[in-house]
Amino acid sequence: MEPTFKVRKQSRESAEQDTRPHSRAMNPAPATLLAVRARGLVKRYGDVLAVDGLDLEIPTGQFFGLLGPNGSGKTSTIHMLATLIRPSSGSASVYGHDVVRDAVRTRASIGLVFQESALDRTLSIAENLRFAGLLYNLPSRIIAERSSELLELFGLADKRNRPVGSLSGGMRRALDIVRGVIHHPKILFLDEPTIGLDLPNRRKIWRFIENLRARTGMTVLLTTHYLEEADSCDRVAFIKSGKLVKSGSPAEMVASLGRYIVEIESPDVETLAQRLAPTLGTCVLDGDVAHFRYADEDVVRLAGLQSEPGIRVRALRWRQPNLNDVFLWVAEGKA
Amino acid sequence: MAHWRPVYAVLEREVVRMFRQRTRLVSAMVRPLIWLFVIGAGFGAVLQQAGGVSYQQFLVPGVLGMTMLFGAMLAALTMVYDKESGVMRMLIVAPFPHYWIVVAKMLSAALAAILQASLLLILLAVLGYLDAQTRFGLLALGLVATSAACAGIGMLVAAFTRTLDNFAAIMNFVIFPVFFLSGSLYPVSHLPTALKAVALVNPYTFGVDLLKHAVLGVLPSGMGADFAISTDIAVLAGFTAVALVVASWRFSRESAYEPMIRILTGKRDG
Repeated sequence: MEPTFKVRKQSRESAEQDTRPHSRAMNPAPATLLAVRARGLVKRYGDVLAVDGLDLEIPTGQFFGLLGPNGSGKTSTIHMLATLIRPSSGSASVYGHDVVRDAVRTRASIGLVFQESALDRTLSIAENLRFAGLLYNLPSRIIAERSSELLELFGLADKRNRPVGSLSGGMRRALDIVRGVIHHPKILFLDEPTIGLDLPNRRKIWRFIENLRARTGMTVLLTTHYLEEADSCDRVAFIKSGKLVKSGSPAEMVASLGRYIVEIESPDVETLAQRLAPTLGTCVLDGDVAHFRYADEDVVRLAGLQSEPGIRVRALRWRQPNLNDVFLWVAEGKA
Repeated sequence: MAHWRPVYAVLEREVVRMFRQRTRLVSAMVRPLIWLFVIGAGFGAVLQQAGGVSYQQFLVPGVLGMTMLFGAMLAALTMVYDKESGVMRMLIVAPFPHYWIVVAKMLSAALAAILQASLLLILLAVLGYLDAQTRFGLLALGLVATSAACAGIGMLVAAFTRTLDNFAAIMNFVIFPVFFLSGSLYPVSHLPTALKAVALVNPYTFGVDLLKHAVLGVLPSGMGADFAISTDIAVLAGFTAVALVVASWRFSRESAYEPMIRILTGKRDG
């Protein structure tokens, strides 16, 4: 894949030297420099293999989605890349910094937003950002400048002196992201950034992230359960049991499933699945609905299924596949 | 490579929080004064004056030490609070080696203790418990060295504690024994042998002793300081250094660190 050239200046070693807000140099990065490169990454907890020989390459500037069912190893992968846990074997680097040997410099180049808040509820918004900025060795003046700029972007400017404990869940999440990018990281890790939020707040958070990406061109590595959110990714990868199963652009992934997904609802869905296997291939069962992949343009033929002997069909519909289908098929190991 | 700006961030947060949590600050002032006025007056009436020092005066270094012990312990235990509340997440992703978190937290615990003891000193001076004989230079040294040692005790406890659920246990099994088995309430030289042995391995004893040097001096009655100033300083400095190293080691050790990450990230996702 082609690296995108929207990156900030690569010569900058640390956040400290990067004092200009949202500098956006257009000089191309060396073609070989990847934002993330993982080779045979393994994380073992006792007998459990959380991540099992993962290979991953994310070009600079890309919006990359790491998707997979619960327990598939997404968070463990992010935490290894963020130097918070040590790989059991294999290697990984972030912007050329080895995550084990060069952990401190790796951390300087990433911003990490956890599933749960990393804020001090007893301090105000401004005080939290000041604390975070000082931890990244930023001078007070820069922190103040960036805080007002980012709070403006995230719609929190008028609340800067409010204690974090008094903010709504959506505002706190937005602040958590501001906190994660106060040092202008080259790459932002978002681990389920909208978990637990209602739809309007999820939309808002995504607008903020889009604005941020448009302004800084930073690489973003996202994990999420809400697959419609991954639709805007440049590339997504599905992992299952710690292994990479499938990767590509969301459109490619969806297209690879077939032209249509045919859903057939039946009171005896298992018999139906068996009877139709020769004509429609394997299916994924979802309650009493069987999902089949259908490559043919001619959907009229499907109507005939209802008259086949021994099959009871309660409802039949066909539609275009989406990422949720990819997820479902990957989770079933049939993709 | 030193990381002083992050350390400053942790110190600043500690001070802001200390003055914001008024009840914590007020109780830090009231607790020693209750000891001084209630226990001091009560026992003072029973005990006869010895060597020109009333029991209340004898207690002054003890209650100063107590303020530092409680102040440093509570500040050090915010490390555990931070693990639970999530602020530790901010600290572990920041670009410095993780033992700097211990360095910063220990310094901020010592700073909290020094500030609280200084406020108490002003109150004591106003109330007339400090006289012209007080050696202020030595007193300042005593505040710094004792605060550092108390912060060391606090960091050791914090590094080995996972949740705040056992805070009551920490009070009962760490703070109270450290306080009672020192020279705070009675001269070490008058203690029975067994208790004296315990007091001698308690670094806090030497902090109080240093404060006695500053406030009371060495008295022939044995009501003053028990050890030489150099001994006090050596023990306090040595203990502080050992506590810092052990707490840092414990905190960065993978077997302790990775479970903490799992608590912090609350992840059920393998």
